Amino acid sequence: MFDFLKKIFAAEDTSSRDKANDRLRLVLTHDRIGASSELMETLQKEIVALIASHVEIEGTPEVHFITEGRRTALDISIPLKGR
Amino acid sequence: MEKKTPDSHVIVVTSGKGGVGKTTAVANLATGLAKLGYSVVVMDLDIGLKKLDLILGLENRVIYDIVQVADGECTLKQALVKDKRFPALYMLPAAQTRNKDDITTEQVKTICEELKQDFDFIFVDCPAGIEQGFRNSIAAANKAIVVTNPEVSAVRDADRIIGMLESCDFKDIKLLINRLRPEMVRSGDMLSIEDLMEHLCIDLLGVVPEDRNVVISTNRGEPIILDEHSSASKAFNNIVQRLLGNDVELMTLEEDSFWRKLKRNLGFKN
Ligand SMILES: Nc1ncnc2c1ncn2[C@@H]1O[C@H](COP(=O)(O)OP(=O)(O)O)[C@@H](O)[C@H]1O
Ligand SMILES: [Mg+2]
Repeated sequence: MFDFLKKIFAAEDTSSRDKANDRLRLVLTHDRIGASSELMETLQKEIVALIASHVEIEGTPEVHFITEGRRTALDISIPLKGR
Repeated sequence: MEKKTPDSHVIVVTSGKGGVGKTTAVANLATGLAKLGYSVVVMDLDIGLKKLDLILGLENRVIYDIVQVADGECTLKQALVKDKRFPALYMLPAAQTRNKDDITTEQVKTICEELKQDFDFIFVDCPAGIEQGFRNSIAAANKAIVVTNPEVSAVRDADRIIGMLESCDFKDIKLLINRLRPEMVRSGDMLSIEDLMEHLCIDLLGVVPEDRNVVISTNRGEPIILDEHSSASKAFNNIVQRLLGNDVELMTLEEDSFWRKLKRNLGFKN
């Protein structure tokens, strides 16, 4: 009974369909390139370290996978410090 | 039998995941094409776990199997089982007591070449998985139908299979979405056609709704496509048309419930 009321009054739960889509997006990206989220972190660290050894970085670097059709690309954005 | 077309379509029906409806699709699309007079053969490569004979209702007519053909224990013609309902429909049975690797890719190719002389359409019923059975199934095919369900694990496996087909240089890969439940999509509890297209990014061949008549027809050994009133039958017939190169719109899967009809008749917009 309580569960039932909770359901009615719960603020806009994300639907299970939305949830399925989110999970699929993540898992398919990782499956396609054979990489885990751990590798993502390693990549991010190593890329940023490499850039930082040559130029000064300012702000927060971002490394993402982006998908286009069935292809995946690395999207890297590293703000550099101006002189 | 007489071929209607000079070329033969060799279509592998695959999915990665088991139980999504590959065998059901093979049985129905083959029956639908045979009904239109095309000469069709279904080749069961789910060796050790065959089921196609049951869905087609041909289980009592099997004498030889594909492994025996490959081993030269019988001729291909002897092993082909003829469907009494449709003179143009044949089945090449799988062996039930053997393993997937009791037949080689080369042997499958040789058998397929021989079948091409007599058949317009050759369907290959692929086993679940990505091992030898999968490799054998795609060896001779020039088209692939990837069957999936609107469900996370089935989509993930379909994606894997599509990737493998692409790396084998498959050009003609199409998606068949099976067991869709429109009312669940509407209530936000099932992936939609658009969701699946967005994730898998391949051409859509068709959508077959969840239909309890499929179970009933499987019990009887009569493919659902023969039961013209069922929604699954309409969906399979549309797919048959698309396989023949005809443009057929996706059928509307919205079931017309009493309330929806009433609302519409009273002038409410849905
Ligand atoms: N559209 C559908 N509606 C309802 N049941 C279905 C539908 N398609 C397949 N089934 C059922 O799902 C089960 C698995 O189907 P099957 O074709 O044997 O899958 P696969 O060959 O991929 O393992 C069978 O019991 C079948 O009757
Ligand atoms: Mg099967």
